[in-house]
Amino acid sequence: MTAAFTARVSAALTDPTLKTAIERTTGNARAKRAAAVAAWPSFEAARDLGRDIKDHVTQNLAFYLAAFERNALASGAQIHWARTADEACDIVVRLCRQAGATSVTRAKSMLGEEIGLPHALEAAGIARVETDLAEHIVQLAGDRPSHIVWPALHKTREQVREMFACLHHEPGGLDSVEAMVASARRELRQKFMRADVGISGANFLVADTGAICTVTNEGNAELTTTPPRVHIVTAGIEKLVPSTAHAMSLLRLLVRSATGAELTQYTTFHCGPKRADDADGPREFHIVLVDNGRTRMLTEGLEDMLRCLRCGACLNHCVVYRQIGGHAYGGTYPGPMGAVLTPVLDGLPTAQDLPRACTLNGLCAEVCPVKIPLPTLIKGWRNKSWRLGLEPRAVTLALRLWRFAATRPALYRLGTRLALPVLRLFARSGWARALPFASGWTGQRDFPAPARQSFLDQIKERRHDRA
Amino acid sequence: MTARDDIFAALPRAAGTAPHAEAAALLARVPALRPARVGPDQVASFLERLTGPVIAATATRLATRAEIPAAVRAYLAANTLGPQIALQPTQALQTLDWSGLTPHPTIAVDEPVSVCEADYAVAETASLVFRSSPHMPTLFAFLPLHHIVVLEAARIVPWLEDAAALEAARPAPRNLNFVTGASGTTDIEGTLVRGAHGPAHLHVLLIGGQMPAPAPQPANVP
Amino acid sequence: MSTPTSPAPRVALFATCLVDALRPAIGFSALELLEQAGCTVEIPPTQTCCGQPALNSGDQAGAAALARRNIALLEGFDAIIIPSGSCAGTLRSHYPELFPPTSPWHARAQSLAAKTFELLSYLHDIRHWRPQNLALPASCTYHDSCSGLRELGVKHQPRALLAGIAGLTLTEMPEAETCCGFGGTFCVKYPAISTAIVSEKTANIAATGADLLLGGDLGCLMNMAGRLHRQGVPVRAFHAAELLAGRGHGPAIGEPE
Repeated sequence: MTAAFTARVSAALTDPTLKTAIERTTGNARAKRAAAVAAWPSFEAARDLGRDIKDHVTQNLAFYLAAFERNALASGAQIHWARTADEACDIVVRLCRQAGATSVTRAKSMLGEEIGLPHALEAAGIARVETDLAEHIVQLAGDRPSHIVWPALHKTREQVREMFACLHHEPGGLDSVEAMVASARRELRQKFMRADVGISGANFLVADTGAICTVTNEGNAELTTTPPRVHIVTAGIEKLVPSTAHAMSLLRLLVRSATGAELTQYTTFHCGPKRADDADGPREFHIVLVDNGRTRMLTEGLEDMLRCLRCGACLNHCVVYRQIGGHAYGGTYPGPMGAVLTPVLDGLPTAQDLPRACTLNGLCAEVCPVKIPLPTLIKGWRNKSWRLGLEPRAVTLALRLWRFAATRPALYRLGTRLALPVLRLFARSGWARALPFASGWTGQRDFPAPARQSFLDQIKERRHDRA
Repeated sequence: MTARDDIFAALPRAAGTAPHAEAAALLARVPALRPARVGPDQVASFLERLTGPVIAATATRLATRAEIPAAVRAYLAANTLGPQIALQPTQALQTLDWSGLTPHPTIAVDEPVSVCEADYAVAETASLVFRSSPHMPTLFAFLPLHHIVVLEAARIVPWLEDAAALEAARPAPRNLNFVTGASGTTDIEGTLVRGAHGPAHLHVLLIGGQMPAPAPQPANVP
Repeated sequence: MSTPTSPAPRVALFATCLVDALRPAIGFSALELLEQAGCTVEIPPTQTCCGQPALNSGDQAGAAALARRNIALLEGFDAIIIPSGSCAGTLRSHYPELFPPTSPWHARAQSLAAKTFELLSYLHDIRHWRPQNLALPASCTYHDSCSGLRELGVKHQPRALLAGIAGLTLTEMPEAETCCGFGGTFCVKYPAISTAIVSEKTANIAATGADLLLGGDLGCLMNMAGRLHRQGVPVRAFHAAELLAGRGHGPAIGEPE
């Protein structure tokens, strides 16, 4: 239990509006997903297929990466490779500088967040315009995203109204959410058209065409990638699919799991730069393919996690996320998928609380559209944490004592016989309000007084009586 | 070692043969597990989804293309919009009789209305498909506040895989856009608002196909 | 061993460490119910813990040590019955994972897993036992504990059995399938988060207006009952097996004997 995590959790749990804000958005998402799943009788079989498509890609990653590169180059795209987050950011900044960019628009991409691209652009003095409405809110607030699909879900409408009133050029009335959205539309309109470079992520990389696929509901991705002279894509190497048809099967799963819709409003396959006689589109199309720990995941027992579509369903259904929100996790990715990915990206010592702060209730795996065994992977990190000696001393000591006793039944029985009367001393009319070494329990709950005599001892006595 | 070399070196060695058979076998499983979204009448399925509560677009059915300008005029009048329309620069649309309206072949950043023709549509999701080209500027589908889309009923395909098959048979455009409803956002407190950045209104002029009988209404696709 | 001519299976009742120390009534209820269901019940006297605390804390060696012990202790029975979804899930789903497929322990863990059952689903699905002549005029709500629900498919069985108690009405709470925040050691490692989760659960329980909170896992029941008691909400908590064994008129969890 690190102090940093405890402090972030405490801040989240005492936030007066956070819980309501989380429940509004995730509750809505859960209800819509449930309806979409109920309307698809073969959803389970579709999840199996989704899992198998992604596993097929993982098992043939070298083949599909090479095919994608070949076909993308043939379409006129330029391909760049980055081993690390820093390499990826350096490439994007260099491309922006080569383009003489003073202003870049960016369509929300989790990989961009993962590699720290917003910060890298700012550090390079390149004006960055976030175009996804939620990212726009987060940027104005100088904040961090707290959900991978709804980055600003921690903001209430009142907070958004206040910020837009101060920072928008023509805020207008702002007396409704509709008016706030209209204000953001006005604010970003000209910025879309004036940007020198547009940066997007990719939901899929289509190996047999060299196209990249983006999905949005606002239409900001196409407004980000069409007007500027240069379109830069940053994408993780695991985003590959063999063909457009394979992407369709995954889109059905992704969109229903994320928002409950059947397809995002805007699903676009971008292939190469503007053709010679095209009416619009960027003259340059760059794709930065990023490893950043993914090849390591293949060899460290985390290959199942490379299936992740970033739909956010595991966040929306996680009892822990629903209480503490995204910021408390401290990394780019919160919730169950974050508990698996953040230790890869930030190291287990820094992220050690994330796999631990999970009840292992299994709902995340049940809703995952590609059947990632999230609790198993989380337990894998716990095993590693134990081996590395990261578990708190009190925990390891207690468990070693427990194991010692539990493998020695006579000692165990003796211990039970001694402990029960002691525990009973703390109870008043059946309940203990405080127990030694158990403030974690009795801080906010009462503890039922134990039996006078254990079940096994009572059974033993009965046998004696009968005999 | 370049970054590329390092990444490939870290990957399991590719199998000697290309994994095409396995990739094809995965797709062979699709028809059995698709959502039961498309009935025998693809046009009805498309319209039901398009105008249903989720997508909530509007549609007018027309018998012939000659009726398009009048339908556009009616839409503009019903929404108290002016006569200016951004008209997609295709011969098929430009040569219609647009009297009473002032069409222009370009699109402005705050364009109130654009009229363009979808290449085809997908009944399963009620998606309208646009392929960028000299005659289809991508921004026609993203900048206007009202997006009026002409669609030939004969150009509705049942499933997303049919769209993929159509695309696999010809060179990829710079942008292949599947448009499924008007722009929307739920980023502020999960409240759905239309017209976040793209069009706030999507209206389809569906040409041809078997016109619905006046009464009774055609049965909904289950 | 049972033979075709003597259909009474010889089953081991694995009480779990929590039931042993804190609520023997659940153990006795299980014993009586299994006997009513035609089983020859033995309670191996050297049983201790299934190893779940070690397993969930990353101590694989510790969990494997307890697993080997329990496999040797229990593998001679026709069936192993556990009045807890999460402990039964540990034997059924997780023991085999503790040993490499080449180890002889892996095969033994698999064969043990195949005959390990959670009590309520075993009574309902395998023994086809149904309550007879039971009555309790009360209203109840049921919490589905996560391991039982998701690893073992325990959902309709307790409800079907409870429906056989005359006078007992069930009011489902919202989010009955949502975790109560117990999570084994989670609740003491991250008490603030756990409290926030269980407080939502107790609000849902209280909103049903039910007299009784029922479940199939003592850990979760203690978590919810302990929070309800601290909050002063007068809902009484029982393991469903206690009601099915006719103990619904006795003291609930935390009530003096």
